[in-house]
Amino acid sequence: MDFTPNEDQLALVSAIERIAAEFTAVPTDFHGFALEGEALARELENGQYFDIAAIPEMGPVSAATVVERLARLPCTTEVALSMLVRPQIDIELPRPFALVEHGRPGRFVAAAGTLIVIDGDDIGIAHPRPEDVEAVESLYAYPMGRLTGNPPVKALSGADADTVRTWLRIACAAEMAGLLQAAIDAAVEHLSVRKQFGRPLGTFQALRHRMAECAVLAGGVRLLALKAAWSGDSGEAALAALHAQDSASRVVYDVHQMMGAMGMTLEMPVHLWTYRAKALLSELGGKGAQARGVATFIFDAA
Amino acid sequence: MEFDWNQQQRDFRATVRAFLDANLPDNWEEIAHGPGSSAQTTFSKQFCGALADAGLLVPHWPERWGGRDADPWSAFILAEEMWAAGEPRGGQYMNVNWIGPTFMRFGTEQQQERYIPPMARGETLWCQGFSEPESGSDLASLRTRADKTESGYRVNGQKIWTSYAGHADTCFLLCRTAPGKGGISILLVPMETPGITVRQIPSIIGEGDIHEVFFDDVEVADTALLGAEGQAWEIVRTALSLERVGIPRFALASRMLRRAVEVLKRDGRFTHGAIDQSAKAHAACEVARMYSYNIIDQRCHGQPPGPEASAARIATVNAERQVTEFVVEHLPEALAGADHMLMAHHQRAIVAGIASGAAEIQLNLIATELLQLPREPR
Repeated sequence: MDFTPNEDQLALVSAIERIAAEFTAVPTDFHGFALEGEALARELENGQYFDIAAIPEMGPVSAATVVERLARLPCTTEVALSMLVRPQIDIELPRPFALVEHGRPGRFVAAAGTLIVIDGDDIGIAHPRPEDVEAVESLYAYPMGRLTGNPPVKALSGADADTVRTWLRIACAAEMAGLLQAAIDAAVEHLSVRKQFGRPLGTFQALRHRMAECAVLAGGVRLLALKAAWSGDSGEAALAALHAQDSASRVVYDVHQMMGAMGMTLEMPVHLWTYRAKALLSELGGKGAQARGVATFIFDAA
Repeated sequence: MEFDWNQQQRDFRATVRAFLDANLPDNWEEIAHGPGSSAQTTFSKQFCGALADAGLLVPHWPERWGGRDADPWSAFILAEEMWAAGEPRGGQYMNVNWIGPTFMRFGTEQQQERYIPPMARGETLWCQGFSEPESGSDLASLRTRADKTESGYRVNGQKIWTSYAGHADTCFLLCRTAPGKGGISILLVPMETPGITVRQIPSIIGEGDIHEVFFDDVEVADTALLGAEGQAWEIVRTALSLERVGIPRFALASRMLRRAVEVLKRDGRFTHGAIDQSAKAHAACEVARMYSYNIIDQRCHGQPPGPEASAARIATVNAERQVTEFVVEHLPEALAGADHMLMAHHQRAIVAGIASGAAEIQLNLIATELLQLPREPR
């Protein structure tokens, strides 16, 4: 048991921090729903960071730390599935990756090189042509899209489908960990400077306690996500995704309460994290499906 | 990063489990209804003696005091297994975790020789004289007075919520020798000293768990002072940082959750609501476990205690709450005599946010130290 990163992992953390530093600011003229990070994607591609899970000294747990860190950025690009799920299927598959569940719109679908298609209990892989997908306007702070055509879907075997489902859950938890932390950080900044009744809002115990509880939840999501990424265990993956989706409901609500009306504006960019978190809430069947996964894999229930 | 145990740690856990299997009687779960009860206290003395003989009572203590300088992981694995089994050490876990190590650091040679060896042999029980009727979370406002006399101190005052006081041999007593936070001192007071009266407080958390302790003109020798006069705050802070994570409550919570789930599965009652709630409770237990392991890891790497310990405490409180609520809602008969251990767990779990200090104090610490929110005005 050792929570400390090894030398390779520390070097990776430094490299990712250097990249992240270039993308921490929200452009002042941006007042949209989703801030897309094309330049970030190029940097990650050039540095071959999408493949780090396959490097033995790094492994998926390192990839999960990167997913978590990059999710804290205000801009978004498809990272989690490429870094955590793609190496489990075939690292040569074209990215970006996207998930289409039961025909619903999904994140990054309109630009996807590879689609993971979930239909009932079946999971398949497809490579859509541009005319098979279209962008969708949404409240979510991801570029959303949907499948309009019928590209051939190659069904995965039961075992491969189980593996993909496990790593989708891990990717969801790792990304959520970063989103929740960033949303909390934004609220803390606001509570530290915004004054009412003559003092910063952050000095009021009613708000302090709520934020502290949120911080414990978000930290817990990160710990369970990293543990699951380290083990690749199906039960731990379901548990991490469950805790991520369950905690997100609470954290997103509380963060917006802390921000007040300012948080309702597109000028205050907190939605760049909270509305990404909301997009993840229903993925993979939502909390109910994750709980059933826990029951199956951990409690050995039929 | 490595989230698995090494061979040495696995072996140590197996040794502790084997010891528990061999040394817990068949009726252990009936005895374990209250760590401060007469039955458990009597059993704990014999059990701790056997643990000491097996080298499993104080492995993390220095060799000089009967240990083998085992690392913090060994101490925590031991604590996890003991708590998960219902804490057969009873109140002696405090000796092992922080009272003994505090004496090693702050005690006089005479105090060390008098008090540490009986702890290492598993022969003695202490109680912690901290809270008072008017001083709970605001501990620094305590009023129990220790007035200087020619040969020592005369103590007058009252303590409350004192665990194990009914059977304790000695009290680790916080008392006032001067005004203010810097005027609090620690006296090591034998409980048989004339003038001490102990009254058990009937409670919903188990027999012998909480007491009132009255001190009426209790004469204490000079040699009972731990450290210097007015040093209590520093000593207590150090003592509590030795413990850091506190009781690994998640270990028993997790075991009880699984037990309840097994009963529900057997009876065909493990359906939707139970599945959702048990999965969330299990997540809460695992979060508490990981937070706690993170703290132990920090300690192994020589890092000073930080606000993460407060987060670990809150996560632990969440875990206890979720498991008890799950059992009450889905296996209500457990609290009506159907399962001694589930009932005992409930009794212990409901104080998770209160015992050893209100969890709300930890939330404030997280807000200030972890989140760096501005402090509240005082």
